[in-house]
Amino acid sequence: MSQKAAVTVHRSREEVQRLWQDSEYRPPYIHGADAAVTFKDAPGDRGTEIHVDLERGGAGGKLGDLVRKVSGSEPLAKVKDDLRRFKQQVETGVIPRSDGSPEGELAERKLKQRPAQPLADADREKVGI
Amino acid sequence: MRANVWSGRNTVQVENVPDPKVLNDRDAIVRITSTAICGSDLHLYDGYVPTMKRGDILGHEFMGEVVETGRGVSNLSVGDRVVVPFPIACGDCWSCRHELYAACENSNPNAGLAEKAFGHSTAGIFGYSHLTGGYAGGQAEYARVPFADVGPIKIEDDLADEQVLFLSDIFPTGFMGAEFCEITGGEVIAVFGAGPVGLFAIASAVMLGAERVIAIDQYDYRLHMARNKAGATDLIDFSQDPDIVEQLKELTGGRGPDAVIDAVGMEAAHGHGALHAAERVKQAARSESDRGHALRDAILACRPGGIVSVIGVYGGLMDKFPSGAFMNKGLTLKTGQCHVQRYLRPLYERIKNGEIDPSFVITHRLPLGEAPNGYETFKHKQDECVKVVLKP
Repeated sequence: MSQKAAVTVHRSREEVQRLWQDSEYRPPYIHGADAAVTFKDAPGDRGTEIHVDLERGGAGGKLGDLVRKVSGSEPLAKVKDDLRRFKQQVETGVIPRSDGSPEGELAERKLKQRPAQPLADADREKVGI
Repeated sequence: MRANVWSGRNTVQVENVPDPKVLNDRDAIVRITSTAICGSDLHLYDGYVPTMKRGDILGHEFMGEVVETGRGVSNLSVGDRVVVPFPIACGDCWSCRHELYAACENSNPNAGLAEKAFGHSTAGIFGYSHLTGGYAGGQAEYARVPFADVGPIKIEDDLADEQVLFLSDIFPTGFMGAEFCEITGGEVIAVFGAGPVGLFAIASAVMLGAERVIAIDQYDYRLHMARNKAGATDLIDFSQDPDIVEQLKELTGGRGPDAVIDAVGMEAAHGHGALHAAERVKQAARSESDRGHALRDAILACRPGGIVSVIGVYGGLMDKFPSGAFMNKGLTLKTGQCHVQRYLRPLYERIKNGEIDPSFVITHRLPLGEAPNGYETFKHKQDECVKVVLKP
């Protein structure tokens, strides 16, 4: 199975690369996973492509097993979460949250959705929003 | 607050749930004054859309009064009267910048789920399963509206709720379906389905200059409304004669309509024969089959070189797509959830100018507490039901 993921962010390459290193935006999982990350200008006015290759970074093997054990999620799914959240934050300034996925895009939530109704105060505290 | 929640196939109930709160700077909270049941809510009600959960608040057609805004919402103030478009769109991504709001790249926090089902994620939608985000819907007393600085349109005159409510979905959806047909004057347009969306597609095709608009349905009272209120010039009642393709040929001198709009979607009723029977079995077994008679007939009926415009909602897979007819006749297929934000301003202007009063589709007005009755009445077309508006 491919261990690659990519996202296109509607911003210039300079800005994307700068924010990628900014502590407010830095994708935590990808940085910790020591993955190979490349940035490319997207065609036309589409912004910047970010490509992540877990295999080249060596994170697919032992670390991958550890992630699966601890979080129950595939490393690639965590990478995709990171990429989407980075794109969301850079483009919109927020992490979109729903009632079903109050933390925002999160692999662990995919099969454990809350019902689509507002969270009670106690539940909101639990998920930290 | 009280809200209408899904609680299993063919069951909704009005329950007490927590009040929504601002979760992001770009959110607003709206106190809902009017909301409606959409034909596409019936697909959820009937259980044909995957990823529904017990307790999901339904509803994506709503309007009301802003009662709270996040720090990032400077265009709205408490007390503003707004209509909220059903797709949630960030306004910042490439798709939004190109007015493809229903393809917003950021507003669905369950993008991973949607990618598995459709290859890509599309916009989040209020009250419309977890595949489109898991957002609480608007059949409730209050709703949280994300990206409130992009979506809602302020209503700043004394038009009644019922005249502007349908800017949230069905008027723009019908209008987009008609716009897809590239009407320049003199065309014949056929519209499958004289439900609320079909009626607005008919009215829009007339507004855009079609010479003849043919309404197709099996309910007499809906066809009457199509002629008397929406402006259809010809009617096909397929409860009388199920061969719609042949009737369309006859009505168009053998040519076929220049464009055909499918305003029916995945629960098409008019199929007959073995294929219909097979699809009913597959759908009943929940083996992911969209019932495709309307779309198949649209493709078979459309004139060569014409346009097939699909605004009825599909959710899964469809058998027996007539690819031979589609290719050899050189048809163009256009489709999509409506990019409502693109149409809000121009269609609001048309309502203000008196070109159309969208309230003509309303047949039932109920308090929110009677939502379960509203769903049953609408689903079974009881009491000549076309459109149900709920008052929280």
